[in-house]
Amino acid sequence: MNVRLLALTPYDLLRDRFPMLGWRQLLPHLSYTFAVEKVSRACSHQMVRHRVASFSQQSQRYITVKRLKECVVTPPTVDDMEAFRGLVEEASEAYQTLVDAGVPKEDARFVLPNATETSLLMTMTGSALFNFYGLRCCNRAQWEIRGLADAMLAQCRDAEPELFDNAGPYCYMLGYCPEGRFTCGGMAEAVERYTPGGRG
Amino acid sequence: MRLELVAHTPNVETMIATSMLTTTSGAQPGTLYDRLINRPGKVKEVVGRAEVQHGNILEHNRLVWLLEATDSEVLEATLDTSYLTFTRLDENRWLLSGNLRAVVEYAQKKKTPFTDALAASVKSVAPDIRFLEHEES
Repeated sequence: MNVRLLALTPYDLLRDRFPMLGWRQLLPHLSYTFAVEKVSRACSHQMVRHRVASFSQQSQRYITVKRLKECVVTPPTVDDMEAFRGLVEEASEAYQTLVDAGVPKEDARFVLPNATETSLLMTMTGSALFNFYGLRCCNRAQWEIRGLADAMLAQCRDAEPELFDNAGPYCYMLGYCPEGRFTCGGMAEAVERYTPGGRG
Repeated sequence: MRLELVAHTPNVETMIATSMLTTTSGAQPGTLYDRLINRPGKVKEVVGRAEVQHGNILEHNRLVWLLEATDSEVLEATLDTSYLTFTRLDENRWLLSGNLRAVVEYAQKKKTPFTDALAASVKSVAPDIRFLEHEES
């Protein structure tokens, strides 16, 4: 996985020009665009649940998936790597067989696994991004999108620390865990991890 | 009504071109952006091919304005489009922002002095996009 903050609307410019507004009021006017590369389709399916965002994703209708076995994300919980690779290889062969038989790529892709890598541009307003961090930096988030959220947050903190030192999982931002009976029970550790100068 | 563009995402047309090529080229979006940033001729060529129905390629840019307007003028704009964001600063000044798609589609939908001013702002940061040409003819 690679992630890079490509573009933003400058917070400090708006803060200085409109001192009557607090940072929370400026959030809906701010915009952040990331290049998100080599994540799984399983991850991108979760990303697009964040509907108040914009996405431009590599299209499997137009881009042929080559060397699938080299372009998959493998979950760390998979112990039997040989079996996993074998299944990917079978999917790869099935895909190529269909393409070679003249099936359009948009239909041949139906046999591709969720592990298939994808890359995309993703843009969120500051408000949507804080919500993304609140949900996806949470210990209960799935490991891949949590890793992505942490990497995005690190870059935002480098770019605009005054603003993004306020961001993290909802327990960090709210001072309580909103997950109810599903709480991870690790709020103190999470808050420490996201506190600037903490354990990171 | 008076509109002043106070901020926008940088390299607006480079981002539009990156978005267009990301979907179809197979190259990584960060690599595409780096290649395009120093190739204005290529950006102009790619952006010139953009088609209006694929408005999502515009959504990776945002423009922010200081707007001087009455309550009724702002109400009319908010009834016209749900995708612009207004924050009141004082009695007749507002912070206004929207992604490029929302702005362009509003300017296409309705021709008023306000949307003309929005379109002029768009042209100042993205002179090569063709979406607003019919507004000018």
